[in-house]
Formats: sequence, C-alpha cells, structure tokens
Amino acid sequence: MLRIEGLRVAVEGKRILDGVDLEIAAGETHAVMGPNGSGKSTLAHVLAGREGYEVEDGRITFMGEDLLAMEPEERAAAGLFLAMQYPVEIPGVSNMYFLRQAINAVRKARGEPEIAAGAFMKMLREKAKLVGVPEELLRRDLNTDFSGGEKKRNEILQLAMLEPRLAILDETDSGLDIDALKAVAGAVNGLRTPERAFLVITHYQRLLEYIVPDRVHVMVRGRIRRSGGRELALELEQRGYEQFAAEAA
Amino acid sequence: MAAARRMIEPAPFYGELFARERARLPGHGRSELERVREEAFARFVALGLPTQKAEVWKYSPIARFANREMVVAEAAVPRLEDVSAWFGGGPATRRLIFANGHLVPALSHVGGLPEGVRVTGLVRAIEEWPEKVAEALAGCDPECSFTQLNTALARSGAWIEIADGVRLDEPLQLLFVHEGGESAAMTHPRILLRLGRGARLHLIETHAGTGDGHCFVNLVCQMALAPEAELTLDRLELGAAGTTLLSRTLVELAAGARIRQTAVALGGGFLRNETEVRLGGRGGEAILNGLCMPRGEEHADTLVRIHHEAEDCHSDQFFKGVVEDRARAVFAGKIIVHRGAQKTNAYQANDNLLLSDRAEVDSKPELEIYADDVKCSHGATCGDLDEGALFYLRARGLPREVAASLLVYAFANEVIERMADERLRALTRRAVLDRVPGGAALEAEGLL
Repeated sequence: MLRIEGLRVAVEGKRILDGVDLEIAAGETHAVMGPNGSGKSTLAHVLAGREGYEVEDGRITFMGEDLLAMEPEERAAAGLFLAMQYPVEIPGVSNMYFLRQAINAVRKARGEPEIAAGAFMKMLREKAKLVGVPEELLRRDLNTDFSGGEKKRNEILQLAMLEPRLAILDETDSGLDIDALKAVAGAVNGLRTPERAFLVITHYQRLLEYIVPDRVHVMVRGRIRRSGGRELALELEQRGYEQFAAEAA
Repeated sequence: MAAARRMIEPAPFYGELFARERARLPGHGRSELERVREEAFARFVALGLPTQKAEVWKYSPIARFANREMVVAEAAVPRLEDVSAWFGGGPATRRLIFANGHLVPALSHVGGLPEGVRVTGLVRAIEEWPEKVAEALAGCDPECSFTQLNTALARSGAWIEIADGVRLDEPLQLLFVHEGGESAAMTHPRILLRLGRGARLHLIETHAGTGDGHCFVNLVCQMALAPEAELTLDRLELGAAGTTLLSRTLVELAAGARIRQTAVALGGGFLRNETEVRLGGRGGEAILNGLCMPRGEEHADTLVRIHHEAEDCHSDQFFKGVVEDRARAVFAGKIIVHRGAQKTNAYQANDNLLLSDRAEVDSKPELEIYADDVKCSHGATCGDLDEGALFYLRARGLPREVAASLLVYAFANEVIERMADERLRALTRRAVLDRVPGGAALEAEGLL
C-alpha cells in the first residue's frame, strides 16, 4: 500500500530525513518511535503533503501512485489520512459542517455523489458513538476551545468518517492522560480492518500497549535504525534511545 | 490658515448646483431652514474638499470622486421584488425604502407603530416641524465639509424619534438602493434619530448598489441618545463598482446610554465609513464592530473617533479587513480620553487578511489620553492566511481555494455573528460566500 524508498528531506537547507525506507501493507499497523527531533513528525507531514519541506531524494508510492506528485487534498481523496498532533481551531465553522464538507470534497474528487443530509447524520451519530465523541461536540465550532483529549478524539472521529486506506497518527498520545489515552486507543482499535493500514508515530511505548503494532521501527537522526516486532518497543522502554543514537553516530 | 492649504476649492459646479437646486429643496421658503442651508453651503465652500494632505484623508483620494461634474439623482421607482432581497428583520419590521436617495412611499411602511414612536421621511418632517429640523441641522459637525454639503443639499432622509421609556422590539430598517446613472448621480440623505430616556431601538441600515452606473452618496446620520437609551445598529453595504458611498454617523450618548453597531462593507468602488461617538455622560457604552472585504479595485476606508468625555464609560472597537487583488483597506481609529474621564475602559482591535501581493492595508490605531486612571489598549495585525490551518483543511480533502475561502469566511464571521438581526446575518454571510473564490463550492446551508 505504502512504499517509501531512500527518502531524504530538508527543511530550510537542514536535512531532517536522511534515507528513510519503509513499507506498509494493507491491514498492517506500524509504529515509528524515536526521540524528539528524530524526524518522525517530518515524515508524517511529508506523507500528508505539507508545504515547507524539500524532498531531496527518494520516492513514495501509495496505492501504486507517486504520492509526492499529489496535492494534500488529492492524497486525502486517495485515502491517506493524517491525525494531527496539533489540530487547528477554526471558530465560525461547526465541527459537523466541516465533516460534511470534507466527506463531500473527498467524494467529489473520487467522482462519487455527495452524501445526503440524512445519511450523513446517521453515519455521524454512529461514528461519534463509536469513538466516544458527544453530540454537543459536533455542534461546536471546529476544535475551538476543545480540551486536548477532545481534539484528539475529534481527529479519530474524522478518521472514522473519512474511512481512509492509510491512517497516520502523529503523536496522538501527546498531552493525553491515561484515561483519555485508553479511550482514543480503543476508538482506533475499533477502526482497524483487514484493508486499513495504520502508521502510529509516538515518542513513548505507552500508546503501543493499547494499539498493538505489527511492526515497530526506531527512527534516530532521520533514519530508521532498527525494525522489529512489538518486543522492540519494550526494549526501548527499558534501554532508551541512547544505544541507537550511539549506533547512528 | 494652514487648513486652507490642505483643501481644494469645490468645483464651480457645486455653486451652480446649489443656486439651481435650492428652490427645489424641501423647506424652501421656510426662513430658518433656508438660512441653515445657506450657512452650511458657505461653510462647505470655505472648508473646501479635503485633499490627501489632510491626515484623515491621507489614503483616500476623495476629491477624485467628489470634485467632478455630477447630476442630482432622479427619483426611481423600484418594484417590490427589486428590493425585497435586502429585507432584514421579520414580518412585522417597518421600513423606509429609498431609491437614488428619494423615499419610495409605495414600498415604505411605517404605520401602526406604538405610541411614542415617530418614524417619517425627512420631507414630511420638514413640513410638519421645520423648526425642529432646522435646529437639528444648524451648526452640526462644522469641521466636516461633506456634512456641510449634506446639510445644504439634503432632500430626503428620515426622522426617527422615540419617546422616553418606549422600547421598539421589532427592528426598523432603512433600505437604500443606489441605481447610479450615466453621469454620476449624487444624493445627500440625512438621518436624524433621537432616543428618549430609557428608549430602545434596533435599526437596520442597508445599502445596495445596482446597475453599472455611477453614484455618489453622501449620507449623514445624527443620533442622540438620552440617558439609559439603547441603540443597536446593523449596517450592511453591498455597493456596485460605480458606488461611491460616504457615510458619516455622529452619535451622542448621555449617561448610561449604549450603542452597539456592527457595520459590514461588502462592495462598492469607494466606501468611506465614519463613526464619531461622544460618550458625554457617566456609564455610557459604545461597541463598534466592523468588517470590510474590498477586492478588485475597490477601496474601503473606515474612520472611527471615540470621545470619552465622562467618567466610567466603556468603548470597544473590533474591526476586520480582508483585502484581495489590488484593493485597499484603510482603518484609522482614534480613542480620545478627555481630561476628567477617569475609569475609562477603551479597547480597539484591527485585524487584516492581506490575500494578494498587490493589495494594501493601511491601519492607524491612535490613543490620545488626558486622564490618568484609564484602561486603554489597541492593536493592529496584518497577515496572510494561516498556513497550518490551510494545510489542516486540505489534508481533509478540501481543495486549496475552498479551504482558503472557508478560512476567510471564518475570519469574517467573527464580525458578522455580532450583528443582532438574524436575517441580515444570513444575507451578509451569503454575500461573503459570493465574494470569495471558493465560496460556490461551500455549502451555504450550515453556514448561514
């Protein structure tokens, strides 16, 4: 589904990703772990198409297409979703309205008809219940004055509504207490299907106790230094990132 | 005199016009009103028209629009379906409708208002109580040449008077349709409004420019609020390319009186909105919100003057601009805290979105403080759309243009939601969506 080969990315002339290789198949859940500044979030942003990153080398194919040639909205339409670390507050636009615009934009791009109002509401109620977003939050302005936990949960609701092929969770655990973390992880697990892949980006092992990955990759200084099963995350928990930093140096 | 160098003489055309028109003006033959008009015209000639050397006209070349051959706008008789699109309020809302500056009695409806509420066209007011009108006009706003011109030439407008303690719950609407003509057609409407002690009014003022012609509208609103009176004013300007609209609103607030004004300017070749408020008694409050969205070659200029003359008053200015293409937005807001106006609270914010390299924003917030126990603040910002927000929306599938339009809408909406009238808010939001490039792709339902 997703193949990253030799990806080198710089920001303002400084190289952040230094040869990343990663392959994710349908139905798999991968975790990328790494210390602050290792390039994890840069990888997430480059995958979603954020401006300001210079791709110096390498390629990314998604569903057989050249991902780097696509605009962010085209990537969304192709089935790529990024749950953001810092969801943006947009006062004046209700959460519900935004979701409907997003769904219809994606449908339009795929040549599908717009969703009818009734069908949308039914779907929204179901998914909101599934991911534990109260109705009141749907009527409020998008992310505006939401708590940290509400914002993250709202990202998962968007994920549930847009039904992507690949969902990237960028530090979804940051700023969450243990109860909120469990709830968000539970919602994500409810969305795992044999067709859908997940890329979970996190600093801590903790999230992976609840969203159990198939593969774990350790990123240090812009490169994946080691890949393994979930036991690799446990090893990291005990020994920290320093050994990898030493290997990288 | 220094001021004289900053003004240019009005074209002889104005003198000829006044000489020709004065006999046709309402109140002709009423000695007191005639004298007031003559004095005003003499004052207009003495002041001249401001050039850009005058500080308050620095960014707005008004003489280019005002000092040229114009005709007096002819009365027009629009049909109901030509004006109903701009109706605010509800089924019981009373309206005065003006076409090219002339009252259209057939479409206006101000009957059946409660006792103590007097709403009438200016012509009728002059017929019925000429001395009161003359008294209101005499000596008004002596330093503003456009007010003087209005006083000299006003031939229509409204007289609105609400007695002590009377509260009008339904909004009252003043709807102006400016058709424009082949040669620029000028009008000088005058609104005179008085609210008695504890009286309350919700006024809606709308301007719609239609057609391809040119018009020059020189509107003056004089509003006096007795103690504890409350005025809510929603204003929407939807001008056409050929619309030049000068709107000057003068508000005097007695103790405990309050005004809440939300003015949105969404079109017009040249728009100048001036609001000057005097907080003359303890505990008065002035809340002024404003939005302009000039695009193309449009010019939108906002001037605000708030005089804190008494203790314990509150003023809050919240103005936004969205500027596209080669358009220009100007904001000059000044808070003057007079000596003795202790415990003043005065705030001002002017935030702008600059959406094109060739667009321009000139923002000038000013404070003049002559008292020591005050809380005042002002701030101005000017920037592009937030890149992070744009990315967020695009990452959810919204094309760039649609995402940008949604962000502009959200920015503008923070002002629009302060309008008191629901129908006018919907009308305004629709007009915003019509003005942004990706607006057509955004579903109106859910936003309006």
